Amino acid sequence: MNLTRNKNIFFSTSLFLAFLLFLGCKQPNSHQAGGIENDYTDTNIQYAKGFQINHSENHTRVVINNPWGKEDNKPYAVYYLYKNDSANLPDDGFKLKIPIKSVVVNTFSYFEFLQQFGELDKVIGVTDGHRIYNPTILRKIRENQIQDLGDPFNPNVEKTLTLTPDAIIKSAYAQQDNYNERLLSAGIPIIYSLEWMENTPLARAEWIKLIAAFFDKESLADSIFSEIESRYIAQTKLVKDIRSKPTVLSGDNFQDTWYVPGGKSFNAILFSDAGLDYYYKENPESGSIGLDIESVLIQFGSADFWFGCEADSYDELARKDKKYLLLKAAKNHQVFNNRNRVTSSGGNDYFESAIANPDLILSDLIRAVHPELLPKTEFTYIKPLK
Amino acid sequence: MRNKKHIFLFLFILLIVVFVTDIFTGNAKISFSEGINALFGSSGNEITDEIIFNYRLPKAITALLAGSALSVAGLLMQTLFRNALAGPDVLGVSAGAGLGVALLTLLTGTSLYPVITSLGSMSQVVVAILGATLVLLLILGVSARINDSVTILVLGMIFGYVASAAITILQSFADPDSLKVFITWTFGSLGAVTWDKIPILFTLVVSGVIVVFFLQKALNSLLLGEKYASSIGLNVKKLRVIIIVITAIITGAVTAFTGPIAFIGVVIPHFARSFFGTVNHKTIIPATLLSGAILLIFCDIISQVPISNRTLPINAVTAVFGAPMIVWIVLKRKKL
Repeated sequence: MNLTRNKNIFFSTSLFLAFLLFLGCKQPNSHQAGGIENDYTDTNIQYAKGFQINHSENHTRVVINNPWGKEDNKPYAVYYLYKNDSANLPDDGFKLKIPIKSVVVNTFSYFEFLQQFGELDKVIGVTDGHRIYNPTILRKIRENQIQDLGDPFNPNVEKTLTLTPDAIIKSAYAQQDNYNERLLSAGIPIIYSLEWMENTPLARAEWIKLIAAFFDKESLADSIFSEIESRYIAQTKLVKDIRSKPTVLSGDNFQDTWYVPGGKSFNAILFSDAGLDYYYKENPESGSIGLDIESVLIQFGSADFWFGCEADSYDELARKDKKYLLLKAAKNHQVFNNRNRVTSSGGNDYFESAIANPDLILSDLIRAVHPELLPKTEFTYIKPLK
Repeated sequence: MRNKKHIFLFLFILLIVVFVTDIFTGNAKISFSEGINALFGSSGNEITDEIIFNYRLPKAITALLAGSALSVAGLLMQTLFRNALAGPDVLGVSAGAGLGVALLTLLTGTSLYPVITSLGSMSQVVVAILGATLVLLLILGVSARINDSVTILVLGMIFGYVASAAITILQSFADPDSLKVFITWTFGSLGAVTWDKIPILFTLVVSGVIVVFFLQKALNSLLLGEKYASSIGLNVKKLRVIIIVITAIITGAVTAFTGPIAFIGVVIPHFARSFFGTVNHKTIIPATLLSGAILLIFCDIISQVPISNRTLPINAVTAVFGAPMIVWIVLKRKKL
């Protein structure tokens, strides 16, 4: 809650004050370094570059790095997690008493993290409820135990405040938005989700450690992640010695632009780990590359596999555009979409739990490309076209 | 209903009614007595206080300021260009503000980022004002050389189109998240204006409106044509510049704080003229201010009605719910 209720501004709105405010509208940055020196020991973070967790005697410090402000090296957010009210905390950052008891989740990928370490029941609010896949969350929305707050980019402010969650997990973008400022003014801490800026599957999954710290489940999260990591690495070893790597196409045509992953992107790294040869593997982009259909036909016309297609069947593909059938992957029926687990209202588990389960996405790809190496497993997220 | 005093009194009471209703309408269930307590002290519940005093009250004030400001800006444009279709956005100022915000989405990855974050959500306001000012300067440059209102109108629209085209190009380069952030801005938002921003909006809008009151007689003579106006000793060129500057400041300020809000600026002046049966600015200026404020606050109340947990974008509500109201009035009176 805003400490000074700004009634004085309400009553003294005057020309003079306005101009002063206009000139002085720069707000102080809230991420200054703290005043108290503490001896911290680091939690081991192997893959993720976006955060650090350090422990001191009576509290845990969580730092989320700023992926955009590299020059000034200021963190995006700092959190001090304490269990005992007498803990002596630095002046900066958010202070949260852990374990937190209730949370609003604004970004789909965190349901699976919470489920893995057994805290999914702490979710009291979500956004875009109709696009969620997680069956537990969906049931609780139907039973009114979880509130749907609407558009994730513009959530309902009043409903959020009424819920009074201990914290809100929210995707962070380069811009500060108005909703964030409202929450902060009401004293609700925001746990910024920046896992989507990580470029490797294991780095994204490692964010389970960050969120677990807020629920005081760090060691459990550590062991969950270690298991995922060892399964993932074991699978990469399966394909390590394969000589002839099949080639791969990704994405789909949208309004004449075909977005394919950049060479340093999540998908490009996944392809390489699955023993696939990707045309843009040397490309330095971590985002996506927009191509026209001609470039796709030339660069990917002879690709052996196509993942991330938007269609459900080869008939649908032909109806959409006959040019699709010129692709070798389509001719040989080696096309897969990401729609194996979907709901009728638009939920897709590929965009939800896959972040937390990189071993499962990888095994999907290996199962599709080298069925002889993983003969028995079923597909989790991807589905061959009919 | 020809008695002006009665109509003004009616509109004024209506304004108070919608304003109060707006403060007591929202998705959080807050009783009337809790609301009153939160407004004039404390309801005993921090969250209720926060919602009523720091969210709904500034939102209602913003609706009042923006509704009246955009309407009076539309009136100025219709009188200056003697064109019934003119509105506050014909000078391209809103498009300029939009261009500023669109540029911001691209600048976030650059070395300007620390400056942008230090401004917080104020950065959108600052770039929008810069964009609007840029278009205003272009229009003023043109008005200094050209002594014909219609030509200035056409050039203003051309600047608007160029700004919109530049926005489209920037959008095509933007990543999906930045795109969604920008698109959300174009929905318009009255709730984005917090207490610390209200004094700025208030100052810009009210100082503009005060000048408009001094222009009543000059605006009336413009209605008879620029030739007539200059024949009675009016400096038309100077007047034109003043009107353009005022309109641009009002529209630019409102658009910067709330995002674009359509419909109101074009329709309310017609409504006011029709309702009062006169074109005399002495009556029409206050009538436009009052009706614009009432309609936008009313639209804010409507937009609070949740449709599958979303509040409707104010920029759309104004036309979707304002239009049937206006059409009904027109049909009843057989003309506008």
